[in-house]
Amino acid sequence: MTVMVLSGNSAQAHAVRLARVQVVSAYPITPQTSIVEKIADLVATGALKAEYVQVESEHSALQVVVSASGMGARTYTATSSHGLLLMHELVHWASGARDPIVMGVVNRAVGPPWNIGADHTDSMSQRDTGWIQFYAESNQEVIDTVLMAFRLAEHPDVRLPVMVMEDAFYLSHTLEPVDVPDQAVVDGFLPPREAHATLHPGTSARLGSFTGPDRYVDFRFEVAKAMERVPATLRLVEEEYKKATGRSHGGAVPTYRVDDADAVLITMGTSTTTARTVVDDLRAQGKKVGLAKLRLFRPFPNEEIRALGAMVDRIGVADRSYTFGPMGAAGTEVSAALYPSSHHPAVTGFYAGIGGRDVTPHVVRRMYESLLSGAVPEVHWEDIEEEVSVDG
Amino acid sequence: MIEIRFHGRGGQGAVLASEMLSQAAFIDGKVPQSFPFFGVERRGAPVTAFFRVDDHLIQIRTSITQPDIVVVLDPGLLKVIPVADGLRPGGLMLVNSRRPPAEIEAPPGARRATVDASRIALAHGLGSKTMPVVNTVILGALARASGVVSLEAISAAIEKYAPAKPAQNRDAAIEGYGAVRTIDPTTSPVPPVPKVPHPLPPLPEGPIASRPTTSIHTSSWRTLTPVIHLAHCTKCNFCWKFCPDDAIGFDDQGFPVIKLDYCKGCGICAEECPPKTIEMISED
Repeated sequence: MTVMVLSGNSAQAHAVRLARVQVVSAYPITPQTSIVEKIADLVATGALKAEYVQVESEHSALQVVVSASGMGARTYTATSSHGLLLMHELVHWASGARDPIVMGVVNRAVGPPWNIGADHTDSMSQRDTGWIQFYAESNQEVIDTVLMAFRLAEHPDVRLPVMVMEDAFYLSHTLEPVDVPDQAVVDGFLPPREAHATLHPGTSARLGSFTGPDRYVDFRFEVAKAMERVPATLRLVEEEYKKATGRSHGGAVPTYRVDDADAVLITMGTSTTTARTVVDDLRAQGKKVGLAKLRLFRPFPNEEIRALGAMVDRIGVADRSYTFGPMGAAGTEVSAALYPSSHHPAVTGFYAGIGGRDVTPHVVRRMYESLLSGAVPEVHWEDIEEEVSVDG
Repeated sequence: MIEIRFHGRGGQGAVLASEMLSQAAFIDGKVPQSFPFFGVERRGAPVTAFFRVDDHLIQIRTSITQPDIVVVLDPGLLKVIPVADGLRPGGLMLVNSRRPPAEIEAPPGARRATVDASRIALAHGLGSKTMPVVNTVILGALARASGVVSLEAISAAIEKYAPAKPAQNRDAAIEGYGAVRTIDPTTSPVPPVPKVPHPLPPLPEGPIASRPTTSIHTSSWRTLTPVIHLAHCTKCNFCWKFCPDDAIGFDDQGFPVIKLDYCKGCGICAEECPPKTIEMISED
């Protein structure tokens, strides 16, 4: 392996190269653009032997990879914000058609007002489309998760598409050292795709055509069962990735110093890094706080969240999006997952980092102090109290 | 950990500067982290980039509000952006300017350094007069003034990662290294930082901004300012006709007047003026 200083977007592109993706189609949008620029470059120089299909919109981009995936190819696309929203119809289609597409999503706010900063609203609005969703914290996690995503998506127990998210700018444009695995190592971990059913001239088959009430529900039930098999399959895939590269990222919900914690904050993406530092600071002051990272959001890791809920009395969930529910998207899911349990920790929803706002150590500390004091409202907008002076 | 904040303009290479600095720090055996912040992605618009370096993996992912070093790639930004905000006591301000460092406005106690990066960049064929690409000159100057990174690593990173003219960029960095001037805060008084308007105006009521876009002064993009020498002006109106931004009006006698709140300094008026009576000058 080689250590390179890479952006999150370059990490996605290198993973695509190492995965020997066969068909790529994408439409550029800030802050995703440098992913597909890099891939186009890799294809142009021959470093990646893939078909790169230029299209006129994100909707067409996903249609191209849906079709290519139906032909048995390993496929990849990437988008962000309004681009993902324009894809929406085909996002549903890809999972229903059981196409193991991997899509890089650079999380960016949705307008108006126009904004290109980090915000999870774009991918959160696609949470009910039947895609597996990972949220990455570092560029190392980006490259490793994209490689694992192909293995997971194509696994016979799963056969579902995967989105790998990275926060706009905090990962997409951040350069940091990344361990890039060797091609031989990746080849050993990720063999060529074996499609279970493909459309080819000469074979008679239908894919995605009309199905009445007599059978439609059976297809949906198959998707549901495949989704339920994801956590166990992810454990397997991560174990094999660790054997190949020596690295794993701790499963669906990696935790940090939660064992004797009075309060645990659940974060997603890059705010986790800053929060971990705050946990160390608060622990040094004798405050019993812990951290859990929602690395996998779909399928929702109910078992891990219930195990966490059995250990602590106070849980805070920091959402980087506003989704008009009783809490943020993650806060609502955490609450729902915990409801059937016998032990009910108090759950507080925080909105933090909306539209690219910094989630600073100060903001994280304030969330922990709210949780420890117990005097917290059901939901709280952390950003509103922050003074900012960002030019641009 | 050392934190550096770059202030530049779209097209000057502030983002690339922070990226090449990351590669250079890595060559030096350190662990870098860098990322940009930009609002509008347009040539000339103010851009910020952040750089951190440490001996181990950096455990914070936020923008930099209390930098150890501030690097300003365009002297005009000193008047429109609060570049010195949060500079740590004893921190360094490195500015692309023709002025000596003693004249640079900074917080009390700040160390100051200047380099005439625009001149050096142009001498090496980097960029144009309205938009010299000064990033590599600045990196050379930064290596000397801060010691954060070695000149050898900067040169190697530029040769490998400069998107064009690697040899010219490397030579420009070496010249920047030699040409930077520094001053100790104890040996001279520090001119105070000019007041810059607060970047966040009050929120309008309702979903639609109640102020027209003319209230947004786009002149913050300007690096060179047109000056009309009226003695030779023939009132032909060519400047008004060719201005792409409606930034030229007329006075009572029909002479053209530059609307400095909106002029982005593109220089098209000076280029088109038949008697060549418009001059583009630097405000540095």
